[in-house]
Amino acid sequence: MKRSELISRLLIITGILLTIGAPLYLWKSTPLIHAQMSEEGGWTPDTIKAEVGEPLHLQFTSDDVMHGFAVGQLDMESVDIEPGKVADVTLTFEKPGIYTFFCTRWCGVNHWRMRGTIEVTGTSSAGEDLPLDIPLYVSLGLDIDAPHESPVVPEMQPSAVHGRTRAENLDLANLIEPALYKASSPYQIFQQLDSTALLETEEWDVVAYIWQTNTTPESLANGRELYAQNCAACHGESGAGDGVFADDMAAAGKASMESMNSSIESMMQTPANFTDPKRVLGARPAILQGKILRGGMGTGMPMWGSIFTEEQIWDLVAYLYSFQFEYEE
Amino acid sequence: MRFSFSLLLFVMAGLVVAFAPLPVQSIAPRERIFRIDARQYAYSPSEIHVNAGDTVTFELVSTDVVHGLYIDGYDVSVEADPGQTATLTFTTNKPGSFRFRCNVTCGAMHPFMIGKLTVGTNLWLYRAFGLAGLAVIGVLMWPGPKA
Amino acid sequence: MAKIELTRNRFIKNLLMNRYPQLAVFFVMLVGYIFAIHAGLIGTPVGSHNFSIVFVWIAWWAILILIAVPFFGRGWCAVCPIPLPAEWLQRGAVLAPPEKKPRWLNLRWPKALRNIWLQNISFLLLALFSSVLLTTPNITGIALAVMLFGAIGLSTIFERRAFCRYLCPVGGFIGIYAQTAPIELRIKDKQVCASCVGKPCYNGSAAGYGCPWDVFPGGLTKNTYCGLCMECIRTCPHDNIAVNLRPFSADLAKPSTRMDEAFKAFIMFGSAMIYAGVLLGPWGALKDAAYNVGTGAWFVYAAVFLAIIFGILPGAFSLGLLKGNNNIPFRQRFASLSTALIPLGLMFWVAFSLSFVMTNASYIMAALSDPLGLGWNLFGTANMAWQPMLTTLLAPAQTLALVGGLIWSARTAQKAANEVRVSSIPLIGYCFAATAFMLWLLL
Repeated sequence: MKRSELISRLLIITGILLTIGAPLYLWKSTPLIHAQMSEEGGWTPDTIKAEVGEPLHLQFTSDDVMHGFAVGQLDMESVDIEPGKVADVTLTFEKPGIYTFFCTRWCGVNHWRMRGTIEVTGTSSAGEDLPLDIPLYVSLGLDIDAPHESPVVPEMQPSAVHGRTRAENLDLANLIEPALYKASSPYQIFQQLDSTALLETEEWDVVAYIWQTNTTPESLANGRELYAQNCAACHGESGAGDGVFADDMAAAGKASMESMNSSIESMMQTPANFTDPKRVLGARPAILQGKILRGGMGTGMPMWGSIFTEEQIWDLVAYLYSFQFEYEE
Repeated sequence: MRFSFSLLLFVMAGLVVAFAPLPVQSIAPRERIFRIDARQYAYSPSEIHVNAGDTVTFELVSTDVVHGLYIDGYDVSVEADPGQTATLTFTTNKPGSFRFRCNVTCGAMHPFMIGKLTVGTNLWLYRAFGLAGLAVIGVLMWPGPKA
Repeated sequence: MAKIELTRNRFIKNLLMNRYPQLAVFFVMLVGYIFAIHAGLIGTPVGSHNFSIVFVWIAWWAILILIAVPFFGRGWCAVCPIPLPAEWLQRGAVLAPPEKKPRWLNLRWPKALRNIWLQNISFLLLALFSSVLLTTPNITGIALAVMLFGAIGLSTIFERRAFCRYLCPVGGFIGIYAQTAPIELRIKDKQVCASCVGKPCYNGSAAGYGCPWDVFPGGLTKNTYCGLCMECIRTCPHDNIAVNLRPFSADLAKPSTRMDEAFKAFIMFGSAMIYAGVLLGPWGALKDAAYNVGTGAWFVYAAVFLAIIFGILPGAFSLGLLKGNNNIPFRQRFASLSTALIPLGLMFWVAFSLSFVMTNASYIMAALSDPLGLGWNLFGTANMAWQPMLTTLLAPAQTLALVGGLIWSARTAQKAANEVRVSSIPLIGYCFAATAFMLWLLL
């Protein structure tokens, strides 16, 4: 054939092969971690291996909606993963172990299930590992699934401001101990105040004040932020158990009840209502911490043990009581 | 001569329909608050009507994934995660009809997640109707050379 | 207004006749098309950041409907890459005809299918699945691949560009809309053709191939089926073929009386209104129905879609025709008057497309820098934020397009009505009502 024809054919074939081959090669050599809504697969891959001390460079992309990435227990800034774009994260681990990474932007009712693990091997560069604490509710021997209704509830919202004034005339030395606070429900402390000459409402005010002294404004602010980002979607921005996913949880709960034929009351299937004084005032902080740590046992409540640090959970617990108590600004 | 005079008159009528400032009913500005639920791929409510000059607040409640709300013409936006209602406050100083749309990729049909905000009367639409009517009259009055 | 013969200009003539510039354009288009298939199949599933969705449904569509069709008629067909591998295989060469031609079946396209009904169906199929097609990269990739390989398959069996002429969903509407374009390819002198032996423009010669569009250039009076491939200009031994500049919609002065073309006009004009309502409207239920293919709601949506296109729109249209001249058959009146819907449909599509193109054009720069969503930044624009463009101009532009389209279609209505001796008033009223509806949907 003529030379022009030959050259043209060669150019066309080369062009086509390059167009197919080059992107294919580049695509294969770009290891991306895909984030998808949990129903579509969650994280792919969902296990990552790393070495202590060696920077782990990760590239994420979302295949559908806005997601985010953070590693539990590290209290790190989360990284947004935008659909169709690539987010780069570099992590360096000082201690070996299995870390949980999780999605940080709500991506559907099963958002909290979107988790994976990073297995870090090697020798710790940060000294000996401290022995793991057992959760308080375990060491106290508490059953966190048992109902905890307060038999008495205040007539109006207890105020820590008034409580402070009342408390000035009382000797509260042992009642404000953190250990007691964590192990007792507000109702139990209320009962202990019966020995004083205060009216019931005033006693509740003092309880509110005691609860306030066991936390700080920074902790409450941290708790508020954690609640907004992690809990409000189910438990509601006002804490009333009426979050945007509450109906879905109820429907899922009903379905699982029908299939499990269990005796769990249906109220367990909807997100807890923190504006219900019976429920919250009868709950010890240790119980709330336990529920957050361990999650739901068949309810939709996620387990946060591998995600939040102990400090974060206590901050959250302190914030939960603020749905019942009026704290000082 | 008469033809071009009529044509001139016609063109001027068209310009008047398109551009003449019309007396707009002046309604006292109010504060309006709207709670807008967002889901894949629609807003609820999806059609909102306010008056010109109102101070409008949109409370965007995402009910499944992260959504945004961007208003054409006003170029303001807000985004909300489920569980965190976000608010957008603005003054409706531009009358007319404006689409609002999602500006956080929220799945396949994201580009078509649209609502409509009408401020005052959608005057431009009526002008367009007027122009269309004028166009038909024009075509009927000047049928052009027969084939 | 007279015609201006563009090919009288030596530079233009040589540019069109020379195979190299055309081949260079073909090369770029084909590589781009293959890359679009590739991106659709292996790139990010997020449409707005995938080259295939952004470059096919935003960039290419915008250029097609806003520039190529109104100003160049079938100009896109002249550079389209879909038939190229098929045609090169069929011809046995990429440039001039080879000495030894390959032996393919080269069957004639079946007579019963020598119309645009298959194209009407293929377009409607795409339209019914459009919500998924326009937003899902791998579906777009598959659709593009099916067309490319479909064309190859057909070319091994049938003669000429069978896919392009009888199956391509785009070609169906580009063809009828090409009648409105200001460019045409026509013979210069009928007598020269009458005395021409062999008709190499249709049968091919050593200089070039016979018309791949199965058109006899000597008989071309309209743009509808000529794909502007320039083969006939290369083969004509008498230099009797020219490309002319002419007034807009010159072809509509002689309205077509074919039912397949008439229904194509309804399909296009109807789908523009449905798309405007479903995709750009605030009615979420419609979008759900359109997107969730296979559900009951989608079947209802599809049924309503087809009922509008084949029932409601032509039905209302026919009401204005009932009182007519009985000498001229109803079919002829129907088909002739439906010509008025051609400029109307074109401007409906222009107005609709302006909206979603201006809203989403900013994705083009991002997709150019990171076509597969792998984190590249080839031109530095990968992180360009989404930002609607020229929003203040949008409403006036759409109004201009729609009112302009109304004037144009009303004029066409008058000419067509004249041909079949009926009053144009009902038809003009119909066009006005449709335009008002489209204005309400878009503004």
